Amino acid sequence: MSATPETPALDLSWLDLFDEPAAVEPSDRGLTLEAIAANGLAAREDAPRDMTPRLRGASARANAHRQGLTYQTKADVWADQCLALYEEAVQRQWSSARDIPWGELEPLPDETERAVCQLATMLAEVEFIAGDVPGQWLPSISGDEFEVGLFLMSQIMDEARHTDVFRKRALANGGGLLAQGAGLGLRNLLDAKDFTEMSVLMHVQAEGFVQSMFRMGELIGPTAADKRIFRMAAQDESRHLAFGVMHLKHVLAETPERREEIHHYLDRAEERSGGGSGDVTFPPVFESLAILLGGGRDHFDEGVAKFLLLRRRQVREYLHRLDVAGLGDRRERLGPALTPFAA
Amino acid sequence: MPADAALLEAARARARALGWDDGLIDRALEHGYGADAIGGALDAKLAGKQASLFLDRPRIPPDLTWMQSPTEWGVRATPADAEHGLTVADIMVGSYGEVPDLWTDRTEIARGSHPAEGTIEDMGYTIFEKAIAWAPSVADLYEEAIRERWAAATDLGWRSLEALPEDIERAICQLMTEQSERAYAQAVVLGRWLPEISYGFVELKLFLGSVIYDLARHAEAFRKRALANGGGLGLQAPTDLVRGAAEARSFPELAAYLFVQDSAMLAFFDEAGALARNQLERDLYALAARDRARLMRYQIERLASYLEAYPDRRVEQHLYLRKAEIRMAREWRDPAVREPLALLLGGGRDGMAQGEAALLAMRRRQVEAYLANLAAAGFERAPRLHSALRAYVEPAAD
Ligand SMILES: [Fe+2]
Ligand SMILES: [Fe+2]
Repeated sequence: MSATPETPALDLSWLDLFDEPAAVEPSDRGLTLEAIAANGLAAREDAPRDMTPRLRGASARANAHRQGLTYQTKADVWADQCLALYEEAVQRQWSSARDIPWGELEPLPDETERAVCQLATMLAEVEFIAGDVPGQWLPSISGDEFEVGLFLMSQIMDEARHTDVFRKRALANGGGLLAQGAGLGLRNLLDAKDFTEMSVLMHVQAEGFVQSMFRMGELIGPTAADKRIFRMAAQDESRHLAFGVMHLKHVLAETPERREEIHHYLDRAEERSGGGSGDVTFPPVFESLAILLGGGRDHFDEGVAKFLLLRRRQVREYLHRLDVAGLGDRRERLGPALTPFAA
Repeated sequence: MPADAALLEAARARARALGWDDGLIDRALEHGYGADAIGGALDAKLAGKQASLFLDRPRIPPDLTWMQSPTEWGVRATPADAEHGLTVADIMVGSYGEVPDLWTDRTEIARGSHPAEGTIEDMGYTIFEKAIAWAPSVADLYEEAIRERWAAATDLGWRSLEALPEDIERAICQLMTEQSERAYAQAVVLGRWLPEISYGFVELKLFLGSVIYDLARHAEAFRKRALANGGGLGLQAPTDLVRGAAEARSFPELAAYLFVQDSAMLAFFDEAGALARNQLERDLYALAARDRARLMRYQIERLASYLEAYPDRRVEQHLYLRKAEIRMAREWRDPAVREPLALLLGGGRDGMAQGEAALLAMRRRQVEAYLANLAAAGFERAPRLHSALRAYVEPAAD
């Protein structure tokens, strides 16, 4: 039997699909996504779109399948900086194995080690969800906004690294994993039914609260390794936050009629004392932070005072970010658990 | 005493300046707060409301029951290889390294920590059986991916690109358009499965995160190559194969289905240097092949573990493989898939006849690699290989 695949006649129509040559130039940051979005290839609201896996700018196949529902409006998912944020993510990847001075860890007083490990246990939990959430939304993003997808894929990698670095910290110095977080309000991140809802709750609120804590890492971390973990993780979180703030800004600018809807998501989330992965009021987290901030169990009350300072930073920075995004009126309707800290 | 009184007066003055309630400091002392608490609150410059929240109620001593959580106290993870640092494999120590065959916790509990029973919602994970998705090397593959990371913007010689004959440039661009979409679509499909995987298999999720990120960079790098040298984007990739991955109803179906494409892609990038017209493309293909080799190792190990754990699911795998084989073979016949490769392998439009022959040989090696990968996983497919692919490995008897 003759099985060789037959060689069909040449078609070559694909050769005629290309426009006039228009090369793009690398900059001192190499050849970036921004550079290749030139020449009429930038994301546009009015470009012809479909729900196939086609990425923006490719010629459409007449017989292409739809792949499932995707957002058909740029504003639903877009953030102007997502191209630059993706490129930054690629340039600033780090290794939890090699970039943390694990070798410098030394035995700590038991209660301090336990407090660090409790915090690391909570964060190893929180960061796990932070990767699932962007993964869940990838199929909803149209190929017309594929840079948003690329950014979320880089976030998935970042969050994997965060999950692993906090797990490593818990196990690197003889402490181990302590109590599971309870009532951390993580489900609400997975429960979001809209991209903007998810982004406001995760990128802006939850990751914002976490970021304010990481930024106090110099005070929290008892060792050079701990301080460095917080610093490196904060670098990543600042991208995730920036995406959320810029997305919210874009949504409010393009679809101002969504303002009340967005407030409503926040109303609900703030009922859970700020919910999401920033919930530092859960006793094991609150108490371990107080021990670390105070400098030992004997200085617990001093630690509580500093903890309240952290809380204030979280709330103030949260309000500031919302203000930058154009939701400055959030200040007037902040949830009761957060208002004492807005001053 | 006078010194204490002076200190107290100074504290009251600072409190007034911060807008604290009159008498708050005295009430705090009555509640049992010491100088460190009050001093700490003043140093932190807490506003009135915040200070009241803290100091205007009886001091409740910390609970600290979490400190009693049982841990493997004293078990320290240390790097096995100083060069590699502290890896995920290194922290698989004591009970923390035990990955259960069946994980039963529906919450987001970090494996190895002390459960807060009955107080946390079901997070909706669906993958609780290790052999569904696990492979023994996932922790190592994850760290390898991090060590082997690269950046499309800066690790490829974009400035070295030189103008190519128009038909060649367009063939490259058509190939890049297709590959960019395929990589992106695969990352999307895998991303959708992340929320299904429970914390029992955290190392697997870390690895899949690295795969998704690799594929993102492939999508990015191929697109950049299409746009870097005056060609542009061509026709979108055919959609049959990618659609089938999105249709998978379970992780094992997805993995089996993708096994076909993953094998073919790795074999393709392994020898795509033959298509390259410059160093940039050679580097790009080699980097893509290196990333895909990790994915393939995972695929082979996973399938082997799966078949061992679920021998009754063996025959069923043929269904998913067959579905992917049919779709891949159909796409291989698509002019916008086949012709750019033939053109590049033949060195231009004039050489397309030789190019077609070279492409047939490449396709044969891709199918052989696929069958060899299955065989490495302990799965014999050759006798049941779909005729559309069999045609490539069993040339006509003449
Ligand atoms: Fe994170
Ligand atoms: Fe994050």
